[in-house]
Amino acid sequence: MEFRTVGSIEEALACLADVGDEAQVVAGGTDVMIQHMRREINPSLFLYIGNLCEMEGLTKNGSHAIGALTTHRHLATDPLVVAAFPALAEAASTVGSWQTQEVGTLGGNLCNASPAADTVAPLLIADAQVELRRASGVRRLPLDEFLLGRRSTARLPDELLTAVTARPPGERCGETYLKLGRRSAMEVAIAGLAVRLTFDAVGNVESAKVAACAVAPRAYRAVEAESVLEGSRLEEGTVAEAGRALVDSATPIDDARASASYRRHVLPGLLVRAVATCRERAVEQR
Amino acid sequence: MSAEFSMTVNGRTVTVDVAADETLLHVLRDELLLTGAKEGCDEGECGACTVLVDGKPVDSCIYPAPAAAGRTVSTIEGLVGSDGSLTPIQRAFVDGFAVQCGFCTPGFVMTLTALIEENSKPTERDIREALSGNLCRCTGYSTIIDAVLTATEERS
Ligand SMILES: Cc1cc2nc3c(=O)[nH]c(=O)nc-3n(C[C@H](O)[C@H](O)[C@H](O)COP(=O)(O)OP(=O)(O)OC[C@H]3O[C@@H](n4cnc5c(N)ncnc54)[C@H](O)[C@@H]3O)c2cc1C
Ligand code: FES
Ligand code: FES
Repeated sequence: MEFRTVGSIEEALACLADVGDEAQVVAGGTDVMIQHMRREINPSLFLYIGNLCEMEGLTKNGSHAIGALTTHRHLATDPLVVAAFPALAEAASTVGSWQTQEVGTLGGNLCNASPAADTVAPLLIADAQVELRRASGVRRLPLDEFLLGRRSTARLPDELLTAVTARPPGERCGETYLKLGRRSAMEVAIAGLAVRLTFDAVGNVESAKVAACAVAPRAYRAVEAESVLEGSRLEEGTVAEAGRALVDSATPIDDARASASYRRHVLPGLLVRAVATCRERAVEQR
Repeated sequence: MSAEFSMTVNGRTVTVDVAADETLLHVLRDELLLTGAKEGCDEGECGACTVLVDGKPVDSCIYPAPAAAGRTVSTIEGLVGSDGSLTPIQRAFVDGFAVQCGFCTPGFVMTLTALIEENSKPTERDIREALSGNLCRCTGYSTIIDAVLTATEERS
């Protein structure tokens, strides 16, 4: 096997056009190295893109674009990201440990497509699109269409994920990401929930976005729960009904971390806490 | 196919030629004979293998070695002064009895070295958060946290 380090995006794309099928892109390597050691993957080439600093950080140029090589640590601590995408920053701050966050990247988290990947739900509530580049061009896909299922994406072997664009919360809007693990650090999610609520001038929910992770093969938007919340004033009964809709939309499994029934059980409580936080933040924001 | 590359380790430029899928931990331990960084879990969970790459703590057991090409790596061996003097964090571990079996210690010291570089006056919460990826099976952590608090209070 070969390890190739590239110095530009163009060089990476040329290499992928040539040997994309046999190559494994390596960004931080926090997923790749473990999968390689466990022999879950067997590439003939590691294509190391970790030096492409043009793919790092948040740029505001009409839309908000976040480079695929932005690390979790960067997402969690950069004041620009924290201000523009609070739920994403919260999610990144819960990924693994400091050591993992320093190396692991946004692009790696999305391309690895774990059902428990923490950055997906906060991006789904921000209508995120991924930018996929290949030697012959570029395409943009809604994140929702990019993710096909557990460990499966729409990325073609010769494509590089270069950036993610997303919409920050607007006026009278609050968002949050809540993650449940066995302890508060170093824990892959048992369940994760991202919620973004926009209120009208008199305090009714104008728009609700709810996305859950680790309770289905991939993170998804819980549209039934969203429509229950929309138009409401977040009365106790309405939030409880939305909680039931959320549970109905989940298809969790039993695994080493938790049972499927436990995962269902915790979702309504997470929703109650999340909508309360969204409301507080929407008020602060005014 | 192997990978040949150079990096700076504890202030010295070294060139190594290793298997393309080798980890930084194995290169440090087996090629450079820097055995301070330990192999605990080999999966990024325990932090015993923590070293600094460009000043940031990383788990060297899952860090692809050739990714360190051109970068600066610091290990526990590089902390000690030429006269044998310890850094304030190392001194605090000794004075505060924060070492029992010692297997986790180099990892803790490297993470904490990065922490006080970023924040010379960390709170107990900052310390606990910074250490969430370093496991210790002996001390119960409180001697370690107390040692750091003492060291950073004395410094300021
Ligand atoms: C101890 C530990 C704890 C963890 N905890 C969490 C956690 O709490 N939550 C969580 O979500 N994840 C967690 N992870 C998983 C992992 O750290 C994240 O998924 C991380 O974001 C992966 O990023 P990376 O840059 O290291 O990816 P890599 O390992 O480099 O790559 C991951 C996958 O994406 C592909 N890829 C990477 N970048 C691109 C690109 N730009 N274009 C195309 N393909 C690309 C790779 O080929 C590979 O298939 C943990 C991992 C460890 C080791
Ligand atoms: S040996 Fe590297 S984290 Fe445990
Ligand atoms: S002192 Fe023994 S593991 Fe920490």
